[in-house]
Amino acid sequence: MTLEYRWVGKPLARRDAYEKASGAAVYSSDLFPENALYVVAVRSGLPHARIKSIDVSEALKHHGVVAVYTHRDIPNNRYGVFVKDRPVLCDDRVRYVGDPVALVAAETREEAEEAAPLVRVDYEPLPAVTDPLKAMGEDSPRIHEGGNICRRTRITYGDVETSFSKADVVVENTYTTAAQIHAYLETEAGISYIDERGRITVVAGGQSPYRDREEICHTLGLPREKVRVITPHVGGAFGGKDEITVQIHLALVTLKTGRPARMVWSREESNIAGVKRHPSIVRMKTAASADGVLLANQTEIIFDTGAYASLGPAVLDVAIENCNGPYRIPNIDIKATLVYTNNMVASAFRGFGSPQVIFAIESQMDQLAERLGLDPLEIRLKNVVRKGDYGVFRNKLEGSVGIDKCLESLRNHPLWRRRGEYKGVQNHEWIRRGVGVAAAVKGYTLGALPDRGSVALELNADGGFTVRASSTEIGQGIIQSLTQLAADLLACSPEKVRVILADTGETPDTSVTSASRQLFLSGNALRIAAEKMLDLMRDVLAKATGDPKTSFRFSDGHAHTMKGEAIPYSAIHSMMAEGGVATYVEGVYEVPRTTPIPGSLEIPHLFYMYGATLALVEVNLLTGFVSVLRVVSAVDAGRVVNRQTFTGQVEGAVAQGIGYALMENPVIENGMMRTLNFSTYLIPSIKDVPEIEVVAVEDGEESGPFGAKGVGEIGIVSVAPAIANALYDAVGVRMLSIPMTPEKVYWLIKHRR
Amino acid sequence: MSGVRVVGRYSFILNGRPTTVEAPPGYTLLETLRQILHLTGTKDGCSSGDCGACTVLLDGKAVHSCLTLISQVEGREVTTVEGLAGSKVVKSFAESGAVQCGYCTPGFVVAVEALLRANPNPSIEEVKEALRGNLCRCTGYVKILDAVKMAISD
Repeated sequence: MTLEYRWVGKPLARRDAYEKASGAAVYSSDLFPENALYVVAVRSGLPHARIKSIDVSEALKHHGVVAVYTHRDIPNNRYGVFVKDRPVLCDDRVRYVGDPVALVAAETREEAEEAAPLVRVDYEPLPAVTDPLKAMGEDSPRIHEGGNICRRTRITYGDVETSFSKADVVVENTYTTAAQIHAYLETEAGISYIDERGRITVVAGGQSPYRDREEICHTLGLPREKVRVITPHVGGAFGGKDEITVQIHLALVTLKTGRPARMVWSREESNIAGVKRHPSIVRMKTAASADGVLLANQTEIIFDTGAYASLGPAVLDVAIENCNGPYRIPNIDIKATLVYTNNMVASAFRGFGSPQVIFAIESQMDQLAERLGLDPLEIRLKNVVRKGDYGVFRNKLEGSVGIDKCLESLRNHPLWRRRGEYKGVQNHEWIRRGVGVAAAVKGYTLGALPDRGSVALELNADGGFTVRASSTEIGQGIIQSLTQLAADLLACSPEKVRVILADTGETPDTSVTSASRQLFLSGNALRIAAEKMLDLMRDVLAKATGDPKTSFRFSDGHAHTMKGEAIPYSAIHSMMAEGGVATYVEGVYEVPRTTPIPGSLEIPHLFYMYGATLALVEVNLLTGFVSVLRVVSAVDAGRVVNRQTFTGQVEGAVAQGIGYALMENPVIENGMMRTLNFSTYLIPSIKDVPEIEVVAVEDGEESGPFGAKGVGEIGIVSVAPAIANALYDAVGVRMLSIPMTPEKVYWLIKHRR
Repeated sequence: MSGVRVVGRYSFILNGRPTTVEAPPGYTLLETLRQILHLTGTKDGCSSGDCGACTVLLDGKAVHSCLTLISQVEGREVTTVEGLAGSKVVKSFAESGAVQCGYCTPGFVVAVEALLRANPNPSIEEVKEALRGNLCRCTGYVKILDAVKMAISD
């Protein structure tokens, strides 16, 4: 099919933007159903304890309380995507402070909150295991029956030890990274009710309505036909709403009472019970030859998944897959462990295991460059993978590989070329400036895991089209991207495209909205659906006009015949209606994948995102405070579908990366979360984010819709190491731990030799 | 606790219209707007004055509606984002790409409206100072600044 790009690539204003800016857009937390029960979870408050008994009688007597539920009300009390280890309501024990033990459903929020402390749980406290290294020890108290090792694997190619003995330079360090809180402005929230067809309907912020439905059906013992999950506009997700939050609890209350219910987590509850980015310990030993060719990399990765596995097993895989950076390294040895502790649960967060290990490898690269007297950018360019190369897992890189172009664009950028001048600016004698660079890689799609998505397409009577997909709009702009793709694929104006998303009762299963791949997945499924639709339209036109099927040309919402006639799509709809032809088609796209390598779940991906970050920082020698003055982010975008949405994704990712690198410091003491709100857990404000320049490398991805590839996550991945490298450039101290708080920076400066 | 709930009656101007509402005296303006009046454009991000998502105009000045008790607005003038529909600030946010998930956007729109009413031609530093209490997790603020620049130049 030949395509005219009329809408793809245009920076059209998002169609959901006006309704959001004017306050008209409705989110889960904006819904207040009539006669709804307010649901509050009773959470453990203890990091680790055995439950001896639960007494709900006092709570039940409280005014307005309609019901109190415990584990006895849950037919199958364990859920989880990879490991069914997480109770809907705790039964034998609690494993972190946020573990829910009971649910109170009352007529008002005040009554539910008043009654929650009246639920009496008799606990026998158990030792809290909060240090992942201790948790891995043989003598550690066990958090789960099978022990504290949630997942452990080792992946080796080549021979690292021989390379280390022959190398000209070897750099070895241990890096640590803290947890990061998603801090979406809308907390975990939803409502439930019984719809007109008798289905338990949950409307909640999420990233996967179909998978959430599976978890509800599994835990509550309900058939799929009886449950419906809808995801309206989501007030931010970033991976934190990839798994269950409020959904099962809401479904339970409506199932038991027959009444609508509402559950909205407070900010404090979100900080405690919402998932986090995995805190990590990464030991890395990297070897290179005198001319800067990478020879070997040995990595030990320890990720603290907290009380439950959640998506941790896959996050660990992504860490393993990316810990060698976007480089050719012939000898690698990776030991990786996902360990249970009594800390907060860790799961998906933009970058999905990649930011932690890229912080390590990209800090290593600068140290190798320094030891060898090489330019940091040149040593990277010397080692980067290129299309057609074999990756570290001996996997052929057949998708687009734009890392060389990303780095080249930064090499030519004035901030890099004239970095000496930028560095030389010194407004005060206690201020130093530095410039740092770092590269990034992360797979998109679900790698070697099965991944399939459907998109439905309908020709409407007015000649427009309705696109239906279960993708969720979490702020990334999927509504707008699908609109622009559909307009080009179907040769009509974007105004004629209606998009209905994320309702298991209305939309086909387009799989989860994660891994930077909804545009790739639903865009490809839409392309297939559009091909079917145009074929159907040609059939009908051929029958009506007697012209050959291949003779019609489509543009501007019309079919053009050989004779020069223009038939509007609305007329084609009439032909279909009169001829009894269905106006509905479905496109199914199966994401290409390969078989996983031994020891992995989903390695390798066939499709990778690449990027590189340049940062200019200013360091205050008196306070240790680091401020970022400028960031340039080069992203291998395949092809940009909407430039405004694209740059917005990258700018937002960079800002989250600055927070991760410098500010976001969750204080967790002996399993207790101390940073409960935005006054103690600081995320970047408008005063903390500098000028961000986004450079798109548009090389085209052959498998992507219109050449597009994933971009959602890549912008965050190399921000922290670029800042760490800039910090070194400024003051000569090597930071091995993030966040790089003023205290840590000041201590290093004070103790530098 | 008994089931007796005290309710007060409060009268104020809401988006230009005289309004009387019955609400528990302990309710904040935010709770009253969202739960009783179903004006959900004003968002609840933290309930503690840290995020700015609940910003409304009280007698023309930006305040956190989550820190304002309903009893405090008696006889005063409240403007929510719904009262700014069609304004140049709303349009400039929508057109500049300043909206992603959009949950923080109404708070920003109201805060910018308050700023521009007080100072129609603020410097970038003044804009940043005025918006420092509004958090956005999606945009990195780049396009929010673009939106404010667009609203200023309009």
